[in-house]
Amino acid sequence: MSIEFIWQLPTSGDGRYGNAESQRRGERLSSAHPYSPGVTDPRGQSFNYFDHLHQVARAADLAGFDGLRIPEDPSGDEPWIVAGYVARGTRHLKLLTEFEASRGSSVYAAKNAVSYQRFTGGRFAWQIKAGAGEKQRRAQGDFVADGDRHARIEEFLLVARGVLTQSPYSFKGRFFEVQNGGFQGALGNQKVPPVYLSGNSPEDYRLSAKVAEVHVFDAVSAAAIEKEVGLLRDFAKKEGRQLSFGLRLDVLARETEEEALFDAERYWQQPGGRQAGGAPTVDQRLWAGLTKDNTGAAATLVGSYEQVVQALIAYFAAGIDSFLLSAVPHFEEAYRLGEHVLPFVRSQVSPEQRHALGALA
Amino acid sequence: MAIDIFWRIPTHGEPSSHRSRTPFRGDWSPGDDSKRKPGLAGSGGDGFSYIDYLAEIAHAAEISGFQGGLIPSFPMTDEPWVISSVLARETKTFRFMIPFQPGFLNPVVAARMTASLQRATGGRALYNIITGGGGPQQLWWGDAVAHDDRYGRTTEFLDILRGVWNGGPFSYHGKFYQVENAGLADPLSREEYPEIYFSGSSDAALASASKHADYYLSWLEPFEQLRRKFDRVKERTQELGRRIKTAIRVDIVARPTEEEAWEEIRRGFDSLDKSAVENFQRSADGSESVGAARQRHRPATISSYKDLIIEPNVWSGFNLLRGGQTNGIVGSYEQVAERLDQLVQLGADAFILASTPHLEEAYRVGEEVLPLVRGSANAAGLRAAG
Repeated sequence: MSIEFIWQLPTSGDGRYGNAESQRRGERLSSAHPYSPGVTDPRGQSFNYFDHLHQVARAADLAGFDGLRIPEDPSGDEPWIVAGYVARGTRHLKLLTEFEASRGSSVYAAKNAVSYQRFTGGRFAWQIKAGAGEKQRRAQGDFVADGDRHARIEEFLLVARGVLTQSPYSFKGRFFEVQNGGFQGALGNQKVPPVYLSGNSPEDYRLSAKVAEVHVFDAVSAAAIEKEVGLLRDFAKKEGRQLSFGLRLDVLARETEEEALFDAERYWQQPGGRQAGGAPTVDQRLWAGLTKDNTGAAATLVGSYEQVVQALIAYFAAGIDSFLLSAVPHFEEAYRLGEHVLPFVRSQVSPEQRHALGALA
Repeated sequence: MAIDIFWRIPTHGEPSSHRSRTPFRGDWSPGDDSKRKPGLAGSGGDGFSYIDYLAEIAHAAEISGFQGGLIPSFPMTDEPWVISSVLARETKTFRFMIPFQPGFLNPVVAARMTASLQRATGGRALYNIITGGGGPQQLWWGDAVAHDDRYGRTTEFLDILRGVWNGGPFSYHGKFYQVENAGLADPLSREEYPEIYFSGSSDAALASASKHADYYLSWLEPFEQLRRKFDRVKERTQELGRRIKTAIRVDIVARPTEEEAWEEIRRGFDSLDKSAVENFQRSADGSESVGAARQRHRPATISSYKDLIIEPNVWSGFNLLRGGQTNGIVGSYEQVAERLDQLVQLGADAFILASTPHLEEAYRVGEEVLPLVRGSANAAGLRAAG
């Protein structure tokens, strides 16, 4: 697998420069006139946050990203609907759609995936998350015990892949069942969505080793990632499989390091930023928890364009192929990274170079 | 209230006329690639797919004055949730009528999907809740719940959908679904609840429809039989303190003259294999569907299309020419409009119309038939006179 950059679509709210507070651009939540009475506003109710999501998706496509992660957040817009909404406006992006295995029948998910593949030329991909603890999941209509979440994902994928690749396919398990299933004609033989899984526990690793195409790590230092990559690679080897590795990371890149640090500090002190508990832990330009509440990333890489490029190359050397990035605000920052970061990482790495880079590290 | 008229999106394939079951437009055909229409884009590898053709039909329907369209879902078709979200941004007024079986989705996820689709379309999503004909097909979908139980499940599903819609917190412990302190988050919770069209002709279906449906949707049956069915649904619902409207899904063949319309049917019928007609006459389909059984009348001999005319302008052989329901309306533009008005008089509040090919016929029906339909103006006049 070659290197890929996946941008994030902020399904539950974005931000603005110098303002960490989550907001939905385009959304009119009150009927109050937004400007002074002396200024006209032609928008009426013509726009909402979906128009912004469309803009961000187009920005990622135009800025040269390879994919778009559409995250699952119970308080946000539903990722499968958002994926469909941005499908026709994008040309190249992989639509990495996140969900939980509690969403319904695995056969129905597979059948919907077939239509996504047909309508996007095979750009649909899945990120499946185990989900929150039992209490929060009950508010999502999900009463499966915490200890069964991994088994359910495994069965979900077994059945989905079964009906996508075989006909007739039958299976009866603990969570899902199908009899003489499978797709034919135009619906047959569509691309099985590549599966991205994540998590840091041994259970997460075991599941990824068995069924994932990509395991996505939370952001920690490149040295720590290299160690985890080695561990997970061994897990996979025992299963007779290979998988590739991804990193979920936020980026705060500016022309100079000073500007980046200034913006990171300002963000930290904002309402909506992480101000409790004093200064953030910073390790190798990684600010832990800086933008977690807004974007879900465990840490933010802060630095000049050149520093950020070098840090990403170090992660590549450590074994990362898929960079799942985001930055606030998602529209403007997609262009910034597309112009100042992605081309410089791409020009300096290739799979053949990893070995050499690894030797240097 | 004025009546709503919808069109249909042919997810189940589009031959170029009623007279022929092949070839099919775009990249969808019933399992046999050789039946794809040569010369049209979307038959593979050119960057187009069936959604490009379906988008044309949605635009044709909205520009021709239809409310929107039903997007049928079967094992061999593309899925309506996907079609709706993919076409959300490039349509203006088209309302997406999504059929689905409650057993296939977690109701809280369905609520979020629906609220997001409302946000993506400016409130153009609505449901056609189906609960399943059953038989082998139900297990194909991975659903092993029995026929009458499924209506109980549908009721539970809609209880939860309604409960979480405006934000909750809502808790519910049913036989099939449970939630605790559930509710849509702001701003999803501000969206309008989707209109619900409900299909199903069994007693279990009627009990569920009476509680949750806005419209009770039926195929076309003989007019008097349909009047009794609608009366029964409305009575049942009134007993529960609710009001329900009724809708009819029906195919039409409308032409400038009645002769031309029947000629279309004659040519289709005369091109059929003898065995197709024999199978049709036996027509045991193994389905648990009561609606299908209610449409099934077969004369002792069928030697001409005329043997299947069951009342003026109603032909009972449509599923010989394409999949789906049996009865359809055939006639001049004026006659088709008169039959629709007659159905309004016996209780219909909405229609889902269709004709093949759906693209050209959307324009024809929108331009030639809809302006002749009097709709509720007609019904109100009759009520006053009676």
